Amino acid sequence: MDPTDILLLRELERGLPLVPAPFMEIGKRLDLLEDEVLQRIRKLKEAGIIRKFRARIDQRKVGVVANALVAWKPVGTGHGDTGALLAAFPSVTHCYEREPVPGRWEYTHYTVHHGYSRESVEGEVDKIARSIHCHDYVVLFSTREFKRVPNVRMGENGGGCE
Amino acid sequence: MNPLPPTDDIDLALLDALQDDLPVTSRPWQGIADRLGIPEEEAIVRLNRLTAAGIIRGISPVLESRPLGLHAATLVALRVGEDRIEEVAGIISTYPSVSHNFRRDHEYNLWFTIAAPDPEGLRKILDDILHRAGIRATDALNLPTRKKIKIDVRFAFLPVHPSERYDGPD
Repeated sequence: MDPTDILLLRELERGLPLVPAPFMEIGKRLDLLEDEVLQRIRKLKEAGIIRKFRARIDQRKVGVVANALVAWKPVGTGHGDTGALLAAFPSVTHCYEREPVPGRWEYTHYTVHHGYSRESVEGEVDKIARSIHCHDYVVLFSTREFKRVPNVRMGENGGGCE
Repeated sequence: MNPLPPTDDIDLALLDALQDDLPVTSRPWQGIADRLGIPEEEAIVRLNRLTAAGIIRGISPVLESRPLGLHAATLVALRVGEDRIEEVAGIISTYPSVSHNFRRDHEYNLWFTIAAPDPEGLRKILDDILHRAGIRATDALNLPTRKKIKIDVRFAFLPVHPSERYDGPD
């Protein structure tokens, strides 16, 4: 990454302009030709710096109002890799393994689920629990969003690259 | 919660398509419009409307944390008194290293994520937050990431007619 890439990423994370040729518009702001913008983005993708280009959506505004984090405590072994099993369900949008807090919080696996109602999310989680034989879990519905931004933001937390 | 902004099946199909990796081409909206069988101009009008309604928060790249030097992350849960939750959440949200901060329906009622260059940096930010918010360590759970197994934020939007939409508490 060179300084131009950093400026480009900062501009891109403000959101693509909704005009027919958005990358040309981005180029104009940075004094770059459209082709150079496209090539730099492709290189940043090849280098694994950009994972993907997508819309950030406020799902609550289209009716997806039930959003839950589920903490799981896998029981013993013999049921395979809990993380891989959980991640395999299409309705699971995130799956993480985390350190427990011994004696206070023994859960180690976390999944995120979204639905149109709490009942539908609870039904889905119950189905997954039975399918992977893991019945020690807690469903944590979100009731208020105080902050939700991408976890890497060039303009703000910039990683350790500067 | 306010009534949901009007969306039709084409809006939902557009939102669905926008969760895929956008083509890095001169006319990306044209590519998406072609998939939906609508003119590019219509796609752009819809994108603007969905953005103005706050449904689309922006179309931007997802950056990987590691190449950018963020090698440590954690999820923290706090047990906060009802009367202090707004104040404590407000303090937490001011930290640039905090990306997600949610109230959840549980004894541990405030959950947030922190990313930092290394575990030491993470520890310092968390200590600072707890100190400033006046939260005891015994009312906090620090759950550092061992492994990211899947990140695939993708909503399966169903065509829903306005009369059938759930309009309950957020």
